[in-house]
Formats: sequence, structure tokens, C-alpha cells
Amino acid sequence: MSEPLLKVCNLDVSFRSRGGETHAVRNVSFDVGVGEIIGIVGESGSGKSVSCRAILGLLPESASVSGRIEYSDQNLLGLDTEGLRRIRGRDVSMVFQNPASHLDPLMAIGAQVSEPLIHHQDASPTQALDAAIERLREVQLEHPEQRVNSYPHELSGGMKQRVMIAAAIACGPGLLLADEPTTALDVTVQARILELLKSLNEQHYLSVVLVSHDLAVVAQVCDRVLVMRHGEIVESGDTKQVIYSPQHPYTQQLIESQPSRMTIRPPVATDTDTLLDVSNIDVEFASPGGGTMRALNDVSLILRQGESLGVVGESGSGKSTLARVVMGLVKPKSGDVKLRGQSILQKRNRLDLSVCRKVQMVFQNPYDSLNPRYSVYETIAEPLERHKLVPATKLDERVAELMGLVELDSSLASRKPAQLSGGQCQRVGIARALAMDPELLIADEITSALDVTIQAQIIALLNRLREERGLSVIFISHDLTLVRSFCDQVVVFQSGRIVESGAVSGVLEQPQKSYTQELLLSVPTL
Amino acid sequence: MFLKVGKRLGHILPVLLGISIVSFGLIQLTPGDPARMILGNKASVEAVEAVRERMGLNEPVLQQYGNYMLNLVQGDLGESLRYQQPVSELIMQFLPVTGFLALYVIVLTVPLTILLGILAARNRGRWIDQLIRMTSVLGMTMPVFWLAMLMLRIFSVELGWFPVSGFGTGFVGHLHHLFLPAVSVSIYLIPVLVRNLRAALLEEMNADYVVASRSKGLPEGYIFRRHILKNASLPTLNLFGVLITWLIGGTVIVELVYAIPGLGTLMFNAILGRDYSVIQGLTLFYAFSTVIITLVTDMLSALIDPRIEL
Repeated sequence: MSEPLLKVCNLDVSFRSRGGETHAVRNVSFDVGVGEIIGIVGESGSGKSVSCRAILGLLPESASVSGRIEYSDQNLLGLDTEGLRRIRGRDVSMVFQNPASHLDPLMAIGAQVSEPLIHHQDASPTQALDAAIERLREVQLEHPEQRVNSYPHELSGGMKQRVMIAAAIACGPGLLLADEPTTALDVTVQARILELLKSLNEQHYLSVVLVSHDLAVVAQVCDRVLVMRHGEIVESGDTKQVIYSPQHPYTQQLIESQPSRMTIRPPVATDTDTLLDVSNIDVEFASPGGGTMRALNDVSLILRQGESLGVVGESGSGKSTLARVVMGLVKPKSGDVKLRGQSILQKRNRLDLSVCRKVQMVFQNPYDSLNPRYSVYETIAEPLERHKLVPATKLDERVAELMGLVELDSSLASRKPAQLSGGQCQRVGIARALAMDPELLIADEITSALDVTIQAQIIALLNRLREERGLSVIFISHDLTLVRSFCDQVVVFQSGRIVESGAVSGVLEQPQKSYTQELLLSVPTL
Repeated sequence: MFLKVGKRLGHILPVLLGISIVSFGLIQLTPGDPARMILGNKASVEAVEAVRERMGLNEPVLQQYGNYMLNLVQGDLGESLRYQQPVSELIMQFLPVTGFLALYVIVLTVPLTILLGILAARNRGRWIDQLIRMTSVLGMTMPVFWLAMLMLRIFSVELGWFPVSGFGTGFVGHLHHLFLPAVSVSIYLIPVLVRNLRAALLEEMNADYVVASRSKGLPEGYIFRRHILKNASLPTLNLFGVLITWLIGGTVIVELVYAIPGLGTLMFNAILGRDYSVIQGLTLFYAFSTVIITLVTDMLSALIDPRIEL
């Protein structure tokens, strides 16, 4: 191999805080060759983003960085602010995870793509704008001439990510650092963005460092991969080699936690009583520009006792609206929802509490769905007290029982959400839902904010609950592999309609509709 | 844009209707007889009755309100009992003084707020930030009337640099006469705004798009001016709008201390003299100006932020 473009040697990063020093990255060394794509994989807090930001000197002032970072024989750590500024955006640039927050909401996108051209190449604003249009065309944003005057809020998540990539490659850099560039995006959009990165790599000989928590994503596009944990590189090498013969136990665990590799056997539903019968639901919302927007269109589905129904589709396809209708939080315009043959919509504007208790929900963001001032005990005890489900003397006992059910150690009872990990918070959320002794649990993307190893644990927990308690589950997810391994039935949503439904084995093995096929093809797998 | 502004102006009508009812209710609900007030305690019952008849106070309430509204639509706010002059004329006569004072305050406040806010935010935690924050607290805690009296004493009476009262003549005269009043009000406003702007700037300095801008190799000064300041200006602009509406009605104390013939003084005298039609007219005028200033603030916000719809 020729001389590497980027050489990182013994990189150490620590953060000073009031509590002392935290070592975020230890002794990390790696090379990136010209035209190479390397992946850095690890869970949250593993130091992968910090390493990436250290390269461009984008860490906060409380960070102290040591080691060597050489970009074409220049030590980036030795540069002053002005020297770094000349490198940033011109030689090395970066794309970030959340495109919505990383674009200035008050500036038209054309201007945001033009900025680096104006500052690095002394282009006049009009020249820069012309070049920006070209860049936007290159990242396959449709109608770039008109779009340059749009503001970020007028674009979809995928389009915003394309804009950010266009700004990053505006000056034709040699190296692109991509920090979780597809994590906030739908799976089909993710596939297209990865494709774009790959084609930029091939056309411009652009080297890419792709940081991701998702090994499958990295496996799709990267030549080499580094696995990080607790700030250190635990394994590195050729992508295929790392995936097929992982050496380090952590890498092995990471690979086993992939939904496609998970070996869970969903219990077979023996009871065939219909639990939930949703028939011909229409839901309309008033749209901001006036008029109405149809969120659900003639949606019907049946869930039998003990079954697990996967609901898949892209964001905005109506998955969560369906959950809210079944919870009785959104009143449909027409249609009916029956739980055990009894309509939940009968009572006008008043929720029937006895029905509500039977349907419980667990939410996507484990931190946001818990009251930050409530301890674990208070969170789980609240519904028990409010609904007088157990006598006061038995309250402690019941809370302990519920915590045991979700495998939470009883010593955590007095902790607040901020003192818990994401996975622990999600267990509290599940325990709170189980407190009502529900027949139906709605799980709305409950693992998408969690690391993949934690996700595997939560799925195993849900599976055990189904087995032991005959719990029926509506499992909303954008992850088809997860649905494939956890659910019996599946419905595929597109723009508020069910486009395909049936047994998981049928729909996901031999999809009939092109949309389902596209969804399936977009899923990165190992 | 014009259509939207027109639409927003249309929304003002119900607001004004509500306010007209409240201000009309003032007369009905206040104790004492306006006619008796005008004529004094020694007037005969017959004389009072005659005045009541002339003022229409003996008619049914609804009819009184009908008449009031009819006049209002024609721009007639009634006649002042004290000044024997139409209220609308009176307001027009006193408005320029308060308007001048308000503009004076704005001209003093805006540049200083921006300057101090930026200085504090960019030097967060250093001595200059501490100094600005401490003087801010001092400025906010000093009562406006006390400060006004203090400054009057020192700069006008002792040193004789500024006039003790009045509005002066000519533009320079106005500037000279209203300097101390404008400073007194600004000393209260600036700290509030600086604190707000400083907090907004500090928040925006940590925004993701700032890191992204840095990763593009943009100079720090440019990022601050073009991205951070613009985003941070929105909350401060809205607070400023609220403070200006307060200023229009809230200059009473300053106007009284410095004896400036503005709307505040007019209102004060009207309340003392139970000059009901003036109170009514001014209430309506204050409400109207509040709505207009809010509209202007919203329009400015929409101009800066494309996400805001009027």
C-alpha cells in the first residue's frame, strides 16, 4: 500500500470535568489510505465519535488530546486554530449524525453549501452558488436550481443529509469523516446515502471514515473495520475477516446481537381467539397549511391472543398513529377498534379505563418517557396506586415483583432515570406498562435508541414475557430483521395504508409488493 | 406577505372590540358620578341631572355602548371634561412626546444591548462578563423612579447639565430635554435584554450547526456574526417587543418625575380628575399600539426566521 493519507498514532483524549478526568479515547492508532473506506464500529460511549472529532480539532475546550494525527505528512495536532481552519472543509471535512440540527435553520441551503467555497477558494458568492448547485446535483438532490433557496425545514431528513454531504465535499477534500451519517434516517434512505458515499469514493477517490454503531452498515461499504470499546480499539482488520472470524469476545458478542443472527424462537400462539380487531380505520389531521392530511387510510388488521404483530414502514407512514388509535389517544374519523369484541370507541370523548388498562404502551426514547424526578419505584408504583390495583400494604411487594419480571435489580429502586442506562430505563418503561396487567403491549420502536447488544437483551425479555404470560404484542419497528426474528404476523405501511400483510415467513421471505421488496433490499445485513 | 399582514390586521378587530367593552365598562363600574365630579360637591341636584342628560348617562347601558361604538368607528373618542377638547386631538397632542421618548430609548438601548450581550457571551466567565452581569443586576434592581430622581438631582440641579423638566423646542432641544428620562428607562431595559441575549448567544454557541460550520473551515468571527448572532437574536427580539409595548404605557413614572408632557402625564391627570373619556380613549390607544407592536415584532421575526408563519 502506498503512503497512507491519514495516520493516527497513539491518540489519547480525556475530558476534564468537576468530577475529575474521564479518559474517552486511549492509545488509538489507525491509518486511512487514499481512496479507502474504513469503518469504526462501537456502542455509545466507545469513543468512536470523539476520535473522529479529534482529527479535526472539533472537541470542546475541556478536552486534552495527545498523540499524533498526520494528514499527508502534516501533524494536525500541532496546528493552531488558523492552520486547522485551512484544513477543515478543504482537505478533511465531516458529516454528522443529525442533519436537522447540523444545518443552520435560518440560512438557505445553497448559501450553506457555498460557504466553504467562499472561504477556502475566494469564490464570489455567485460563483460559489453555481458550484453549490453542481455539488447538490452530484449528491443527487433533485432540482438543485430551485432547491438552493430552500431552508432546511423544507427538506426531508434524507435531503438534509445530502445537503450536508454536498457542503462537506464542496472544496473537493481528500478525506470525509462521516459520523453516524445514516442513523437518523429511514432504512431506504440510509441505503441511498450509503450508495452515494460509495459512489463519491469511487468517482473522486475520496477516502472515507465511516463511524457507526451498526456493524451491518459498516460491513456494506467499508474495506476495513475497527471495533472500539471503552475508548480502545479491540479489533481491526479486513471487514470480511472481522465479521466471519471475530477474535475478540466483544466483537463476537456484537455480531451475535445482530437481529439477523439472533436465535430467538417466538412462542407459537395456540389460542386463536381474536384479541384486537381494527376495521377500516381512517384518521385525518389538520395540516399546517390548511386542509387535512390523511394519516391512516382504510386500515384493518386482526391480532390474535398471544400473537406478535410487526408493524413496519418508513417514518410518517402511520405506524405510530395506529398505536395511538389503539390506545384510544386519537379518535379515528371512521372505522372501529374492538378489543375482545368490545368497541373501545363507544364512549364519547371519555376513555373507558377498564379497556385502557388492557392496552399498554412502551415508547421509543427510554429517557424521555420517564419522569426525570421520579425514582424507579415511584414510576412503577404510580399506576398501581392511581388505579388502586393493589392494597397499600402489598405495594412494595408488587413493585419488587414487577422489577424482577423485567430483570431489574431491586437495588435500583431508588434511582432516578439519569442514574440509569438506556437499557435499564427501557426495562422500567416495560415494568410500568406491565403494572396494569395488560393483555396487549404496544412497543413503539422500543429498541431503536439502544445499542445493539442491549437491543438483543430487551428483545429476549419481551420474548420471555410473551412465553410466560401469553402477552400479545404490537411491535412497531423500522428494522425488518428485528421484526423477522420476533414477530408472527407483519403489516407493511406506506403513506397511511397497509400495502402488504400476513405471516412473517410469507411476507418477508416472498414479498409481493415492490415497496416491501425495496424495504427488504435496503436493510443492511451481515 | 401583504395578504398575511392584512389577515393579521383582521384578527385585531375582535381584540379591539373586547377592549372597547372593557374600557366602556370603566365608566359604568367605577364608583362616583362623573357628572358630580365635573361640577363638584356644591352643585345642585338639578345641575348634575342636566349634565348627566347631556352626557347620555341616563340612557340604557346598551344604548350608551351603541352610541360609544358609533362614535368610535368615526374616530370620535369623546370629549375630555377637563380640557374641553376631543380626546383624539388630545392624544395626538401628547403622543409625539412619548413617541420621541420611546424612540430615544430604543436608539440608546439596541446598540448597547448588542454590544454588551456579545461582549459578555464571548468572554464567558472572565472578568468582563462578571462585570457586565453584576452591573446588570444593579441596573435591574434600582427602581426607575428613584434612579430618575437621583439623576435629576445630580445632573440637573447640582451640575446643571440638563434641564429639570419639559420637552424643549426643536430636535436638539428635545434630545437635550429627554436625555435623562431616556437614560433612566434604558438603564432598566438594557440589563434585562443583555441577560436575555447573553443566554441566547451562549446556547447557540453550543449548537450543532456551529460545530458543523467549524468543520467546514469557516472563520470564528464569521460563524459568530452570520450564524450564532442571527439565531440568538430571535428570543431577544421578542422580549424587546414586549418591553416596547410596556414602554408606551409604562413611561408614566419617568414622565412625572421629569415633568414631561407625554401620554403618561395625560393618563395620570385623567385618572386623578376622573376624566373618563380620556381614560377610555387612552386605554383603547394603548391596546391598539400593543397589538401593532406585537404585529411588527412578529413580522421582523418572520423576516429573520423562515420557519415562522405570520
